[in-house]
Amino acid sequence: MAKVKLIYSHRVVDKPILANVVLRTGVLINILEAKVNAQKGELIVSISAEGEKLKEILNLFREEGVEVQELAETLRIDWERCIACGACISPCPTGALKFKEDWSLEFEEDKCIGCRICVTTCPVKAINIP
Amino acid sequence: MGDEGERLRTINEINEKIKRGDVVVLTAEEMIKLVESSGLEVAAKEVDVVTTGTFGAMCSSGVFLNFGHSDPPIRMTKCWLNDVPVYKGLAAVDGYLGATAMSETRGFDYGGGHVIEDLVSGKEVVLRAESYGTDCYPRKYIETTITLEDINQAILVNPRNCYQRYDAATNSSDRVLYTYMGTLLPNYGNITFSGAGQLNPLCKDPNYETIGIGTRIFLGGGIGYIIGEGTQHSPGAGYGTLMVKGDLKQMNSRYLRGASFHRYGTTLYVGVGLPIPIINMRVARTAALRDDEIFVNIRDYAVPSRPDLRPVVKRVSYAELRSGKVYLGDKSVPSSSLSSYKIAREIAETLKKWIQEGIFLLTEPLEPLPREREFKPLKVKGRELYVKDIMKRDVVTARPGEDVKEIAARLVEKGIDHLPIVDEEGKLIGIVTSWDLAKAVAYDKRRVEEIMTRKVITAFENEPVDVVVRRMSQYNISGVPVVDRMNRVIGILTTDDISRRVVEGGGVWQR
Repeated sequence: MAKVKLIYSHRVVDKPILANVVLRTGVLINILEAKVNAQKGELIVSISAEGEKLKEILNLFREEGVEVQELAETLRIDWERCIACGACISPCPTGALKFKEDWSLEFEEDKCIGCRICVTTCPVKAINIP
Repeated sequence: MGDEGERLRTINEINEKIKRGDVVVLTAEEMIKLVESSGLEVAAKEVDVVTTGTFGAMCSSGVFLNFGHSDPPIRMTKCWLNDVPVYKGLAAVDGYLGATAMSETRGFDYGGGHVIEDLVSGKEVVLRAESYGTDCYPRKYIETTITLEDINQAILVNPRNCYQRYDAATNSSDRVLYTYMGTLLPNYGNITFSGAGQLNPLCKDPNYETIGIGTRIFLGGGIGYIIGEGTQHSPGAGYGTLMVKGDLKQMNSRYLRGASFHRYGTTLYVGVGLPIPIINMRVARTAALRDDEIFVNIRDYAVPSRPDLRPVVKRVSYAELRSGKVYLGDKSVPSSSLSSYKIAREIAETLKKWIQEGIFLLTEPLEPLPREREFKPLKVKGRELYVKDIMKRDVVTARPGEDVKEIAARLVEKGIDHLPIVDEEGKLIGIVTSWDLAKAVAYDKRRVEEIMTRKVITAFENEPVDVVVRRMSQYNISGVPVVDRMNRVIGILTTDDISRRVVEGGGVWQR
């Protein structure tokens, strides 16, 4: 499973590139976040492929003029600074941030789409995106 | 059950037990469990003290500082700590640093609360001050660094801390709101709340039988005292508050944290814990109140009104809020706290330990806090200016099927920039501005409905102009159609109308 940001320029924003990649490779691609307007498109997707297969898929996007950014690390939480207030939890769109049984904060990296809402929401600036 | 008010033990008796080392102390959570397992009577008989705690953003907090005199001395008239302004309407080298004062160079990122945290952590802080110079205080400028150790006094005096409970927040509008209740997502996207509920100090003795002036408390990791009712103390409605003080030099930055609410401002997270002596059955009963018995309103922050006038969406218990999901109608909405339950619990545990170890004795209140207090809104002289006072009523409109060229001619002829598009009943369905007409020319569009903006930002005639001005600047637009509740266009308000009003004097207020 890989998390990738796809940036469409205005030249290709109207083309069904993602659908074509899915049809050609048969690999499932899940759209986690999408911002599209007449000038530009930005998708964050999770692709269920690894290694060579993943490379091939990413190249298909690049060939169509889509800029590809692999999202390696999502969030970095400074656990010394975190006061476990919970301010980041309900704004998180995917439930990647939640309380543990003892009311300390837990972060599930797999669910994170890097939307940054927690970064601005954190009152003590304990969350960063590297 | 007999008389609930019948005395079970006195503060003195409890203190004797503390000194002997056989006092029975439970945290509020442990008290709840004991009552559930053994019943209230047994718990009241066994337990001497219940400890509480809360750790949340408390904006009405700050510290009185005495910097000591320099030589030659200065009568500081303006003063900054790390570029955060300090209130200087006091004697020469006394000042008050408030938690919400913001840095003049770093804005939202750093404020009084952060300076307090830095001082408590032992960090060096830049002190800068100005004066006009007097015969007795000739110096006009000073810049140096100080630490908490260097200065004579640093006394935390917080005019309003420790709200008994606090209304939760949600957002019905279609945009994200950044508030002191955190980030509120559009369309009831989330709910935020504050307070420790069943651990909250004032929830555990809402009749103020044990809490009063002089009560010794846990404050910011050190020892503090209640010095009176807090501002906006409204105990009758269940929203009591405390005014507290304590020596900052004894405190700990784990329980005093500077904080910023995105696009709102800076504040201070304060840790407060109260001991509740179980002096009678009534106090035992309230000390064992659970999250599911403590209720607050969820209010809609999309309505930019006074806090108590924001519409109540639902009344819920802390148990529901803390579960992480609250149903609004049939929609399950994520809820989360802004205050730390984990650290609230830690505070209750710490206070329990202090009492058990004999380093914290209880105090008899010198005077009780008021049980009734009216919380009044501000009386405002003059009348707020409303949209209906300055909107234009003779609105030029157009229909979706009309020709773009004719529309353009109409705009020029009437000297206007905004043309609301209405259906046959006069209901608003779009808007065309001169910018849209430029687009029509650029893309060779003919009919109004091809170029009109369908999602129109509107105003109601009984909205304050200030509120609509903020809306226009948020959406970066220069005019809004004014509609009635049926969405029929009844007027239009543009930045021209508003600036004309300001130029004519009187601003957006009528005197």
